[in-house]
Amino acid sequence: MKGVLGFLVYVCGALAADQAMVEKGRAEEKRSCVGCHGLRIIHVQRLGRGAWERELDKMARWGSVIKEREALLEYLVANHGDDKPAAPLERSANGVGAKK
Amino acid sequence: MLNRRQWLKAWSAGLTALPGAAQSGLVFPGKRSMLVHNDFPEDLETPVEYFDTWITPNASFFVRQHLPRPKVDAGSYRLEVAGMAASPLKLSLDEMRKLPQYKVPATLECAGNGRSNFRPRMPGLQWKKGAIGNAVWSGPRVADLLKKAAVSANAKYGNFDGADAGVAKTPDFVRSIPMGKLMHEATILALEMNGEPLPEIHGFPARLIVPGWDGASWVKWVNKITLSGQPDGGFYFATAYRYPSRPVSPGGTPKPEEMEVIEGMAVKSFFARPDDEAKVKPGLVKLQGVAWAGEQRIVRVDISSDGGGKWMPAKLASEDFPFAWRLWTFDWRPGRPGRHILMSRATDSAGRVQPVESAWNPSGYLWNAIDRIAVVVEG
Ligand code: HEC
Repeated sequence: MKGVLGFLVYVCGALAADQAMVEKGRAEEKRSCVGCHGLRIIHVQRLGRGAWERELDKMARWGSVIKEREALLEYLVANHGDDKPAAPLERSANGVGAKK
Repeated sequence: MLNRRQWLKAWSAGLTALPGAAQSGLVFPGKRSMLVHNDFPEDLETPVEYFDTWITPNASFFVRQHLPRPKVDAGSYRLEVAGMAASPLKLSLDEMRKLPQYKVPATLECAGNGRSNFRPRMPGLQWKKGAIGNAVWSGPRVADLLKKAAVSANAKYGNFDGADAGVAKTPDFVRSIPMGKLMHEATILALEMNGEPLPEIHGFPARLIVPGWDGASWVKWVNKITLSGQPDGGFYFATAYRYPSRPVSPGGTPKPEEMEVIEGMAVKSFFARPDDEAKVKPGLVKLQGVAWAGEQRIVRVDISSDGGGKWMPAKLASEDFPFAWRLWTFDWRPGRPGRHILMSRATDSAGRVQPVESAWNPSGYLWNAIDRIAVVVEG
């Protein structure tokens, strides 16, 4: 019994840790993935862990300063992984006649 | 450049949301309601229901940008033609307007149009069908500019750079076009799009028009042409926009030397109307769509309503120019109520036929599988 409880505490702890990690990653995205482009181009992707790793390598080469890489990767895989359904595309409102 | 503050301002200026669409609160001045892949810089897809005219109006035309958009001042703008040329040029916009101007109707399609259909998925904009449009472009011929500059007989490429620049260590967007294509009479530096000065978002003041080739070749905001014996060695020409010379198994990685520059486009057609999963009344149903084949001509479009068993010819509309798409229509009389799968398949002048499967490739270019939509006929 004690063992089972201990296991449950361990699992819940791990899940909470994962969630905390994902949230840390979400914050890291807001810090290290802006300036050159909006976040939408990231959020429309659906990629596996390996592809996200290569994407982070590419962005780092291009000048993104990533401090919490592990958390960012967890966040990207959890929210924009290749097992997720395609991101619904947003529609802009009519801008004909709107001032530049 | 339209930044976050400006579009927020445009939004709060009192524009109302369209009913039915998943509204984002984004507004892009000069553009109708578009599918938003990215807002900064803007990557906007044309919803297929807008494809009911041969000319795609500027307000509906898709937008693809790699780097933050430059603001070019018309007065101080100069086009530089340099490198392997005896009389290098620096032309003002007025001087470019004084050269003979040519009108070229041509279809522009992003090499990645349809990328969202490939499995496994790959990074890149997840375009559906609408990273394509047809416009009349006008401006001086590139051949005239190069002759004026007394281009050397040894030059093999024109390396085109625009006023946009990389951020931090991101590469600059430079594309090399071989001399043969540059000297073609339909290759122009467009100053106008559908009779208006080029909109800033489409490359004001000058955009390279490379008819029949992918959008990556159509460099925007062009301010420098370097004539050279070598193609540009930067990322956007040497690495990006390449297609494997041999078929790759899905998910595979070809060797770099097997990756070739994309020249020309695939044969394709698709439905513009009705919408996928549309409900229609029984009786006559008007099907319509577009078809094009890069440097080739569309010779026919066929429609199937039985999963590809029997194919019936669609009617091609009268506008028929090299490098421009054809509109097609088909009068369909469904035999029974319920759900039907409709397919469209184009054939071009080189004998290429739109395939059942589009070959997977690492960057997801040139999607051209037979298009299919579902239509529900009400009982
Ligand atoms: C120094 C500038 C810069 C920063 C910072 C940056 N990117 Fe990018 N990113 C680019 C450029 C340039 C492109 C190419 C845009 C294009 O071609 O449309 C790009 C494109 C992308 C794409 C689209 C796929 C591709 O490879 O073209 C994804 C996904 C992406 N970035 C993710 C990220 C993530 C995640 C971060 C944060 C770690 C990030 N970027 C930070 C410059 C940057």
